[in-house]
Parts: sequence; structure tokens; C-alpha cells
Amino acid sequence: MIHFDNVTKVYPTQKRPALDGVSIDVDKGEFVFLVGPSGSGKSTFLRLVLKEEKPDKGRVHVAGKDLARLSNWKVPHLRRRIGCVFQDFRLLPNKNVFENVAFALEVIGKPRRFIRKVVPEVVELVGLEGKAGRMPGELSGGEQQRVAIARAFVNRPQILLADEPTGNIDPATSIGIMKVLDRINRTGTTVVMATHDAAIVDSMRKRVIELEEGLVVRDQTRGVYGQAY
Amino acid sequence: MRAQFVLSETWIGLRRNLTMTIAVITTVAISLALFGAGLLVNQQVSEMRNYWDQRITLTIYMCTDISPTATCQENGEATEEDRTQLVETLDGLNEVEEYRYLTAAEAWQDFQERIGSSNEALAGAAQEGDIPDNYRVQLTNPDHYDTVRAAVDGAPGVDTVSDDQRVLEQFFSLLDGLKWAALVVALVQLAAAALLIGNTIRLSAYSRRRETGIMRLVGASNFYIQLPFLLEGAIAGFIGGLIASGFIVATRYTLLTRIEDWFQFDVALGAGALLYVIGVSMILGVLLCTITSFLTLRRYLKV
Repeated sequence: MIHFDNVTKVYPTQKRPALDGVSIDVDKGEFVFLVGPSGSGKSTFLRLVLKEEKPDKGRVHVAGKDLARLSNWKVPHLRRRIGCVFQDFRLLPNKNVFENVAFALEVIGKPRRFIRKVVPEVVELVGLEGKAGRMPGELSGGEQQRVAIARAFVNRPQILLADEPTGNIDPATSIGIMKVLDRINRTGTTVVMATHDAAIVDSMRKRVIELEEGLVVRDQTRGVYGQAY
Repeated sequence: MRAQFVLSETWIGLRRNLTMTIAVITTVAISLALFGAGLLVNQQVSEMRNYWDQRITLTIYMCTDISPTATCQENGEATEEDRTQLVETLDGLNEVEEYRYLTAAEAWQDFQERIGSSNEALAGAAQEGDIPDNYRVQLTNPDHYDTVRAAVDGAPGVDTVSDDQRVLEQFFSLLDGLKWAALVVALVQLAAAALLIGNTIRLSAYSRRRETGIMRLVGASNFYIQLPFLLEGAIAGFIGGLIASGFIVATRYTLLTRIEDWFQFDVALGAGALLYVIGVSMILGVLLCTITSFLTLRRYLKV
């Protein structure tokens, strides 16, 4: 589903590459943790998957497409197959839960009838039934992240990218978020989650890829956050 | 769904930057009004030129016993011989299309008919004989004016050769100057309008960066993301154009009507010319705003 072949990415302002000859394969339906200290290349990995950046060397394939050969006007179609969740939720404060989730479908031109049908289903899937009319400001951090996940998943993407989704959330609530991500993974969606949260990684027992200074230093199928921690 | 969404986003953008939107509309309106006025004057001048080019005549006034010019004083009243000689000269010139001889009585009659209705005092003061007998010469091409003039000026019995062309040229060059002044000011204003639009759209893009960021992430097409901003620019340009059209119509019916009134002939610009000027101005306004918005978005709305 995601295939990195010897990928190097150097940002113009930095000498050290953000990713240095990285080769990673993520299969369809996998759940992968991306761990490592800040600046190890986790975010760069996610940005390359979304084609927000272009690699300086190597090839990136996502959902069977060679991104180097994907013309710019087709990038939006690639992104429709990828859901994204962030540490800071990125909800629209002047829209309620339903409207925030519906926004993702409206802007890709889905018909209103379709939106009315699928949005409540997804809101229920992330555990927010009965809260569709709430504004983001009235929700807790965990609930806001559930809205963000619902928005990322409402178009049934093949891949869900999560960049430290529990970074702003207390440990007890984080468990609930992980359950939602696990539920999404069980529908067949590939999930890649970058995180610093050792407790979560250890409890999930999923594949762990550890990056350090742009290199893959560990790739375990049922890993923990790190031996040293 | 799509249209409704795009239009509501556009409306929100226009309302959120209301002061900037008003500034844009005002600048666009002023610049387009000046541009349109320049175009109108241009049309008017070319139409008048056409009119006069077809009608321009050389009038050769003959000496009478009261002519004050030096040649007439020397030789006295024009004789039949002088007239015959002049007619021969005119017949020999290829540049002359046709000519007509008016006796003093006919010339006075013609003068009364042309001036009498608009300036009774002048018409009343003129007496038969004040206007000398003359030849009205129609040229094959107005460019030959000077050749013909040189051939007959100073011939025996000739008093003066009228200077229609020169008088008209002065008037036309005044109008031309007016036109260029309007167009130059319009150009400066249009540049200012473009900068203002750029700023407005940048502000708009900035205040909606959250929405556009999410749109990008969930895979909205570039066109869909940019369309509300482009429409915002286009609508501001369109409203500015509408206001400018009002100014243009006002210019047509005040300034130009006055200019036409100075002449005795009817050289009014038709509704077609007016619509043409309004159309060009509106299209220019909408295009300018939309293109500026587009260029601004390329810089400030990364896709």
C-alpha cells in the first residue's frame, strides 16, 4: 500500500537529510507505529506519502501509484484515498460536529443525500452518537480528536495517516482514541501512526518502525516503543 | 450542492473583508470610468474625423472692394478674368473632386441658413455682401489639402483660403490630449486596483487558511479550492464595472453631448458605440480582478 524505495529527502535549509535512503513497505490493512525522537523524519515520511513534498532520491509508491509520475492535478485524487489526523485536531470552530465531518465530503462534490446518510454512520463509529450538533468548543480534547478521525475516515480512505493523534490528550482518553483507530484498521484501512507515546505503542503490540536522524534503525512486527526506554 | 457551497464561501469572503471589498470596488469603478471615458472620446474623435474627412472643403474667398488683405488692396476687386483663371487652375488639379461657385448673395443665404437658428445676433448683423463670393472646393482626399491650398493661395483676385482643416486639427488634438490623459490616469488607477485586489485576496486566503488547508488534505481539487476566491475578485470587478458604466453613460450624455453641440452637425455616438465601451470596460474589470486573484492565489494558496 505504501512503498518507499531508498528515499532521501533534504530540506534546502538543512544540511542533514530528513530521510536518508529509507526503504519501507507497508501492506494493505497493516497497523504501523512510526516512532523516534523529534526531527527523526516521521513527519517527512507522512508528507511524502501525501505528496506534500517530493523526494530528492528514490521512489515513493502509494496505493499502487508512483508519486513521481503523478501529475499535480491528480494529487487531490490521491489525497481522497488518504485520511489525515493531527495532534491539533484542525477542526473548523464555527461548524458543528456534523458540519465538520460533512465538510470533507462537500468540498469533493459529494451529493447532499449521500452526505446525510454516511456522516451519522461515521459519527457513531467514532463514538460520538448524540453529539452531532455540538460545536468543537463544547467538546473535550478526546472528543474533538474523534471528530477529526471521523472527518478523515468519512470518505472511506484506503490509508489513514495519524501524526501524534494522542499528543494533546491525556492517557486515559488516548486509549479510547486508539480503540477507534483499531476499529478503523479492522475495516481493512491501512493505519500509519507517528507517535511519542510509549505506553500506547507497548499496549497495542503492532508493527513498529523506529527512525533516527533519517534512518530506519528498527522494524519489528510486534514491537514495543523501545528497549532503552 | 457544489454551487451552493462555492457561492456561500464567496459571500463569506466578501463580507469578512468588507472594507477592502469596498476599496477594491471603488478603485475599479474609478479606473474603469476613466478608461471608458477615454475610449468614448476616442470613438467620438474618430467618428468626427470621418465626418469631416468626407465633408472637408476648401473655401476660396475672392477679393471685393472692401477686402482688407494686402493682395486685394493692391489689385482691387476680383475680375471675371481672375475667376476664369482660377477655374482653369482648379480644373487642372487632380486633387479636386468638384467645386461650386457661390455668388455673394448665395453665400449670404447659406450663412443665414447655417448660423441663423443658433446665433440670431450674428446672423442679423451680417449683411449681404459681407461675405465675398467664393468657391467651395471638394477634395478627393483630405490629405491633399495643402497641395490645393498652395496652388490657389495668392492667385490674382484671391483674398483668403479658409483654414477649416487647421481649426479642426487643433480641436482634435485637444480631444486627443484629453483622451490620453484619461487613459494614463486610468492605467495608473488600474495598477492600483490590481494591487488592492491582490491584497484583498491575500487577506481572504489568510483568513480562510484553516478551511483551505483542510480542503487540500481531504483532496478537494485546486479549482474547487480557488473558485470562491476567484469569484470574490470577479464579483468585486463586476460591481466596480457596473458603477463605472453609470459614469460612462453620464459622460456620454453630458460631456460628449456638449462637444457635439458645439458643432452644427449631428455626429452623435450611437447606442452601439456606448454599449461597446461599457462592454469593453466591464470585461476588462472582471478579467483584471480574476487574473490578479489567480496570480495572488498561486503565491499564497499552496496546493
